[in-house]
Amino acid sequence: MITNFTQLVDKLNTAAPQTIAVVAAEDHATMGAIVRAIRTGFAKAILIGNKTRTESLLAHLELPPETFLIVHLPDEQMAMKEALSLIHQGKADILMKGLIGTDIFLKAVLDKTSGLMKQGEVMTYVAALQIPSYHKLLFISDTAVIPYPNLEQKIAMLKYAVEMARRFGISKPKVALIGASEKVGNQSQTAIDASIICKMAQRGQLGEVIVDGPLDIFLATQPESLNIKRIITPIGGEADILIFPSLESCNAFYKGLVRFAGAELAGLLQGTRKPVVLMSRSESENSKFYCLALACLMANNNNLSYE
Amino acid sequence: MITHLEQMIEAAKAKARKRIVVACANDNHSIEAVHHAMELGIVDATLVGDEATIVKVCKDLNIQPEKFRIVQESDEQKAAHKAVELIVKGEGDILMKGLVTTDKYMRAILNKDAGLLPPKAILSHVTVIENPNYEKLLIVGDVAIIPVPDLDQKIAITNYLIQTAHRLGNEKPKVAIIAATEQMLPNMPTCVDAAIISKMGERGQIKGALIEGPLALDTAIDKESAAIKKLKSEVAGDADCLLFPNIETGNVFYKFNTKLAKGELGAIVIGAKCPAVLSSRGDSALTKTYSIALAALSTD
Repeated sequence: MITNFTQLVDKLNTAAPQTIAVVAAEDHATMGAIVRAIRTGFAKAILIGNKTRTESLLAHLELPPETFLIVHLPDEQMAMKEALSLIHQGKADILMKGLIGTDIFLKAVLDKTSGLMKQGEVMTYVAALQIPSYHKLLFISDTAVIPYPNLEQKIAMLKYAVEMARRFGISKPKVALIGASEKVGNQSQTAIDASIICKMAQRGQLGEVIVDGPLDIFLATQPESLNIKRIITPIGGEADILIFPSLESCNAFYKGLVRFAGAELAGLLQGTRKPVVLMSRSESENSKFYCLALACLMANNNNLSYE
Repeated sequence: MITHLEQMIEAAKAKARKRIVVACANDNHSIEAVHHAMELGIVDATLVGDEATIVKVCKDLNIQPEKFRIVQESDEQKAAHKAVELIVKGEGDILMKGLVTTDKYMRAILNKDAGLLPPKAILSHVTVIENPNYEKLLIVGDVAIIPVPDLDQKIAITNYLIQTAHRLGNEKPKVAIIAATEQMLPNMPTCVDAAIISKMGERGQIKGALIEGPLALDTAIDKESAAIKKLKSEVAGDADCLLFPNIETGNVFYKFNTKLAKGELGAIVIGAKCPAVLSSRGDSALTKTYSIALAALSTD
């Protein structure tokens, strides 16, 4: 089981490198993370965009020539098209957004014929969070895409988060459905949805997973608080996954931890055929690097073993 | 713990006599049932109704009318109101329906000015069934009053079922919330309510019971079915209480039990300040006695 991002990187170095197709690669911040991933050894890159500018960013870095390829397509639509085509042809394993507008990028990913969404899947976002004061990684959703997920979307978020946690060697993840309180009533859709999802899990409809909710953050992640509130929950204050009722709550949760508790975050778009990296500019250098590591872990078809 | 209806009578006899007030006791069925309960030592009775008719019925049944307190009121609806009034004044512990329509009887109970129904109280019907093919009693609701209970009403009914189980000496009853399936299907409102109520049980918001649902009837009361479906639940296959999603389901269940499966039952209305017996003329004499015993056990 991988419990932090250093272990994640170590794990990746035991496997073949994955190829990242970067759209509009001529971006300083993007390139920093790519170069680090290539140097660490778990990634190769196809850099699509303005060749001159990309080359100038790579000057004096002395990357081994077999680890990257530059494709000159300065038009961002054309660059996007080429990146998707590389993914569909199996020549690239991961799609990454560079200096291209998020709207254009997402529209292309969502396109029914040339895009990357799997049929019937939900586009959402799952992130792994490394928090110095928590003994393992915490997977959270949705930090970025769905403002107010409905029941179906929450179930999809849970499913993707569980898939991700399994890649980290957590065979039966503990999922806490977050609310402001553990109490259940008629008034709160969060509590109602949580009750439904719990029951689905109890009935085996969600596979090998332990689910409870609504639970507040304390009950989900702090064993001592269970005694105080006298709540019996199979999560036992040791959640692997937190599913939030809204984008605001999830977003504020991780940003608070990054800002005040030294947390690092790595996240991916979900519901896609292949990992899609869509980072925010405000993320740290480390987070960007870990994000690529996460994408490589998810792209690796030969599930890495955890004996 | 009481596992047979007969034991309810023994338990009721062991308690101090309760005072029953019969609304419109102008018929031989109610007088006979109340008299029988008096003979058993469970109750003393006040009969509200047309005095001349009551005396005549008593004589026909060879029962001395002096054994009862008789309160004269010939009008059906007024007799029902009068009976409620006596209870509110503290002159009775149990209300019972005589020869008055259910409508009028319920109207008297529900009348806000009369004060028998606490504000915001939910009135519901609890039935205790003994079926020769089940090793213990089944406490079920609602088979008679609330047509399609909403979540709040279901929670109230659940609490009444639990409360009744406690009265029958079952300290931690197993409550099954009945649906057509034990699968959690989010598009079925019955399943959604069941998930919420069972979660409330897990969180201790509904106390004194183990609650599980949705469960199909077979997985609620048949251990083999529960095992086949691999349900990890203490309730599945061994339920004490059944919460039905609607009145039709509950009504069919109890009538099936009595008419086709040789079951017996006792039933009361819960939610007012006192238990109320709502027997119908179709009920057997035994059912009436059991209902009175259940009412006696349900009041302090």
